[in-house]
Amino acid sequence: MSDHKEVIYGLYNDETDLLKAVKTAKKDHMEIMDVYSPFPIHGLDPLLGLEESRLHIAGFVYGMIGTLTAFLGMSWIFTKNWPIIFGGKPYWSVPAFIPITFELTVLFAAIGMVVTFYIVCGLGPGVTNVYLDDRITDDKFCIAFDKSEVSEAEAKSFFEHTGASEVNIKTIN
Amino acid sequence: MNQYTLSSGLRTILLVLMGIGALCMGITWFGDDALHTRFWSNFLHNSVFFTGIAVMASFFIAASILAYAGWYTAFKRVFEAITAFLPYGLGFMVILALGNYFHLHHLYHWTDEAEVAKDPILAGKAGFLNKNFYLFVTVLFVGAYIFLIEKIKSFSRAEDNGGVDANFTMHKNQRFYAAILLPIIGFTSVILIWQWIMSVDAHWYSTMFAWYCLASFFVAMVCFVSLALLYLRANGYYQNLSQHHIHDMGKFIFAFSIFWTYLWFSQFMLIWYANIGEETIYFKERYDNYPVLFFANLAVNFVLPFIVLLRNDTKRKIGTLSFVAIVVFIFHWVDFFLMVKPGTLHTAHAAMGHGAEEHGAETGAHGAEAAGEHAVAAVAHGAEHASSFVSGFTIPGLLELGTMLGFFGLFTFVVLNALSKANLTPKHDPYLQESLHHHV
Repeated sequence: MSDHKEVIYGLYNDETDLLKAVKTAKKDHMEIMDVYSPFPIHGLDPLLGLEESRLHIAGFVYGMIGTLTAFLGMSWIFTKNWPIIFGGKPYWSVPAFIPITFELTVLFAAIGMVVTFYIVCGLGPGVTNVYLDDRITDDKFCIAFDKSEVSEAEAKSFFEHTGASEVNIKTIN
Repeated sequence: MNQYTLSSGLRTILLVLMGIGALCMGITWFGDDALHTRFWSNFLHNSVFFTGIAVMASFFIAASILAYAGWYTAFKRVFEAITAFLPYGLGFMVILALGNYFHLHHLYHWTDEAEVAKDPILAGKAGFLNKNFYLFVTVLFVGAYIFLIEKIKSFSRAEDNGGVDANFTMHKNQRFYAAILLPIIGFTSVILIWQWIMSVDAHWYSTMFAWYCLASFFVAMVCFVSLALLYLRANGYYQNLSQHHIHDMGKFIFAFSIFWTYLWFSQFMLIWYANIGEETIYFKERYDNYPVLFFANLAVNFVLPFIVLLRNDTKRKIGTLSFVAIVVFIFHWVDFFLMVKPGTLHTAHAAMGHGAEEHGAETGAHGAEAAGEHAVAAVAHGAEHASSFVSGFTIPGLLELGTMLGFFGLFTFVVLNALSKANLTPKHDPYLQESLHHHV
């Protein structure tokens, strides 16, 4: 990752133009380095051949950990560690545990998924991320090629044909 | 194929189902106790269940129109067809309402004036729980639903026949009536449920009960729609729908099963926690005398859809989705069984217990019958206190299932018949293209 990489990228004004361009690139067997968009585009993932995210499996596991933590934790606290009678109910009162079990399931799943997502994407406080253009977080849709794989001339003619509004070259680390 | 025709094979099957239902109801009637409690409780149970499904389909249409929903437009005719059962449901409920006047049945403890006079709690509720008001709300509210949903449907069909309208007049008309229908269903269905179902246990009340019933109806409704879509697609209709539409129906089953569980549990936990005798009696009765159904209800209606439909792909597979839809549909029927049966059994026992003396004294002609009743009641009373098996009440017997199949046959027949009256996929609906390109 330390070596420099020259990237040629085109910006599109509309996500439908982008989708058409990705289809064209696929047809012409051009290796797309990455696609950037301010929001998720329907139908883009299968075109790029991206695998389905496994984040939700991680979320399920975190949720189960939360369920067990809450339920076993309360069971231990209210029967062994510090038994107290509430409203004449037995120590081990399952219905009373359900809301807290539910809350901790949601909490563990949510926080676990966010942290996992940050780690997987290399995001987080204090991390400086490389990005090609400010506007891809706002209103532009971008296709990027690695110049070592796709020649500049080829990329430029591709962007021209597919209606990119702008073509730039940038060196990233 | 944009025009559905009810095939003669399916028509025969549905007619056979109706025949089975009629036969089972007949057998139930003649093998019943003196008050025909089993027959009438089955009648109430099934009428309420299928009417509720039709009410929730109307609610779904109104809510979706107002929420600018587009995904369901391509098959909105299925929901519209389900609402065609509303007049039949109204008919069944009016039979029950008239039954209050002519003492055809004894499902509701509060219809017995002698009892109400003795009972301060029922006397206090008499302004709401009386036979005039029962008939009045049933006719007025269900009549209003029928009127408004028929308006919406007529504009929906008129949209098909007209050309492309840049002003979307027909759609705006639907929105106008949907805006009236939605709050009316939201507020009045609650009153209907109090009258129809909750007043079976006349002393008991719960503020969660109506929502919990509506959630149950809603899940049953989306299960029915899912099954109808899978059936129609397998028979060559609705080829313009993709697996994304099916996936969304699966999400509805999943989400509203959890919503149902939330309401079930909220009602249970508040009553369990407060531990006030007049509230806990509802759950104690079911917990002690119906333990299998009580827990099976929760397991099947929550755990099964949660575990099976949690994954993405199981909502798209015909096998898993239809399996869950069928089982959950049946168990929401069982859910209503648990709401209706314990209360009606109790009311019948109480009525036969005291009714024997009074009826015998009042009318000499009925004296012999009343004496017979007394014996039956004594036996039945003993049976209840021993919490032993009561045929048709402890668990749904074959006659209950047969009655359910009869109502299901009639319901499906009415729905499919209504479906064949209009284009399967509407034309010129402003949301049609969005629906056809629906992608999740």
